[in-house]
Amino acid sequence: MNYTLQFGQVIDRLPYLAGGAWLSLLLATLAFFGGMIIGVFGAMAKLFGGRILAGIANIYVVFFTNTPALVQVYFLYFALPSFGIILPPFEAVLIGLTLNSGAYLTEIQRAGFLSIHRNEVEAAETIGLSQMQSVWYVIVPHIVRTLYPSLSNQYILITLGTSMAAIFGVEELTGRALSLNAETFRSIEIFVITAGLYIAITLVANVLLVFLGRYYFRARMRLF
Amino acid sequence: MDFLGIENLKARYGEHVVLNDISMTVEKGEIVSLIGPSGSGKSSLLRALVGLLPVESGEVRLNGEIINYRDKQAVKRLRDRLAIVFQQYNLFQNMDVLRNVMLAPMKVKGWPREECEREATALLEKVGLGAKLHVYPDQLSGGQQQRVALARALALRPEILLLDEVTSALDPELVNEVLDSIRLLASEGMTMIIVSHEMAFVREVSSRVSMMAAGSIVEIGTPDEIFQNPKHERARDFVGKILHR
Ligand SMILES: Nc1ncnc2c1ncn2[C@@H]1O[C@H](COP(=O)(O)OP(=O)(O)OP(=O)(O)O)[C@@H](O)[C@H]1O
Ligand SMILES: [Mg+2]
Repeated sequence: MNYTLQFGQVIDRLPYLAGGAWLSLLLATLAFFGGMIIGVFGAMAKLFGGRILAGIANIYVVFFTNTPALVQVYFLYFALPSFGIILPPFEAVLIGLTLNSGAYLTEIQRAGFLSIHRNEVEAAETIGLSQMQSVWYVIVPHIVRTLYPSLSNQYILITLGTSMAAIFGVEELTGRALSLNAETFRSIEIFVITAGLYIAITLVANVLLVFLGRYYFRARMRLF
Repeated sequence: MDFLGIENLKARYGEHVVLNDISMTVEKGEIVSLIGPSGSGKSSLLRALVGLLPVESGEVRLNGEIINYRDKQAVKRLRDRLAIVFQQYNLFQNMDVLRNVMLAPMKVKGWPREECEREATALLEKVGLGAKLHVYPDQLSGGQQQRVALARALALRPEILLLDEVTSALDPELVNEVLDSIRLLASEGMTMIIVSHEMAFVREVSSRVSMMAAGSIVEIGTPDEIFQNPKHERARDFVGKILHR
C-alpha cells in the first residue's frame, strides 16, 4: 500500500464537518423528544387504551420496530409524493426517525409505567399528597429513574441512525463527509475523522447523560 | 368523649366481608393493639380508618366529629390527623431521607422550608438517624428505613399513629431498634393503634388489646385480661397458640 496519509487538507475543513455533526445532533435530539411524546401516548394506549387503541398502538410498534428505519424514510421520501405529499429531505428523515424512535420509546415507557410501585403511590396518598402531587413528586421521578439507562441508550442509537440522512442529501455529518470525499478523495483521513467526530458526540452525550442520570435522577448506571 | 370512636364499621372486598360490625374506642394517649390470626381484618381496619378501604356502613368519629369518607377533601384533611405506617416502609426512593420526611409538611401543609427542615431533622434525630439525613433509602437497612417511615408519618404532627406490622419485614436483629422508637413515642403520650405479632411488646406497651377474628372484634381488654384469662373461646385458642409456640 503506497497511500500517504495527509490530514492537512481535511483538518482545514474540520469546521465544515463539525457543522454537519451539529446538524446530526439536532436531528437526533428532535427525533428523540418527538419520539418521547409519541411514546407517552403509545404506552398509555397500550396499557389503558382498551382493545382498539391498544391494537392501533401495537400495529404501530410492530411495524416500526420490524422494518429498517431506512426503508421507512424511503417510503416517506419517495412514496408519499405520489399521494401529493412532498417532504424536503430533512423533514422526511426527521419524521421517519421520530416515528421509528417513537415505536421503541413506546415499549420502553410501557415498561416504566409497569414498574411503578403501588406501595409508593399509596404512601404518597396516605401522607396527604394530591394526585397531581404524587404524579409529580413520586411517579415521574420513579419512571425517569428506572428508564433512564434505556432512554439514554436509545438517544445514542438515534444519533448514530441519523447518518442515513446522507442518502437523502441532508448535510449532516455523514453527508458532509461524503461531499468532502468527492471533492478531495482523501477517504481514509475523512472517515477516520468522521468516525472520531461520531465517537466524540456520543461519548460527550453519554458522559453528560450518565452524570445527569446518576446525580439528578439517581439512576443506576455506569460509564461503559 | 372518646378521642376516636368507631361504631358498627362494615367493609367488604366484593362478596367477602372483611370488617363486620367493628365498634371500639380509643382515648387520647392510649395505645390499643390489634391482635388476631392472619386474615382476621387487622390491616383492613387500619386501612378503612385512613380511607384506603371504602367503608360500607358505620361511623368513625375523631374528637367528636364524624368523618365523611366520601368527601375527598375531608379524607385529605383526615390524613394529617391519622398517620399510618405499613409493614413495607414504602419510602420514596428518589429522595434522600430528609426530603422524604419534609415532603408532606412542605407540599401538603405549605409550611416554610426552614421550619420543615428543622422539624424533620429533629424527628430523624429522635429515631436515631441524625447522621443519615442525606442518604438515600436504598443505602439504609430495613430497620433504618422503617424508622424513616415513622419520622415521615410524624412529620404532619398526627393526633393518632397507626402502625401495621411495622417490624414484620425486618430481620430479627433489627426489630428492636424500631420498637425502641415506638417505645419513645409511647413515653411521650402518642396515641397509637398498633398491629403487631411481637406479643411481648404488645403486652408491654398496650393500654388495651383488641383481639380480632374473621372480621370481628372477639374481645377487648387490658393486656392482662387478654393474655392471662381471655373470656372467649377464640381468644383463648389464639392466645394459647401464640404463648406456647
Ligand atoms: N386487596 C384485597 N382484595 C380482596 N381481599 C382482600 C384484599 N386484601 C385483603 N383481603 C382479604 O381481607 C381479609 C382481611 O385481610 P387483612 O389484611 O385485613 O388481614 P390481617 O388481619 O391484616 O392479616 P395479616 O395478619 O395476615 O396481615 C382476608 O381474608 C384477606 O384475604
Ligand atoms: Mg395485615
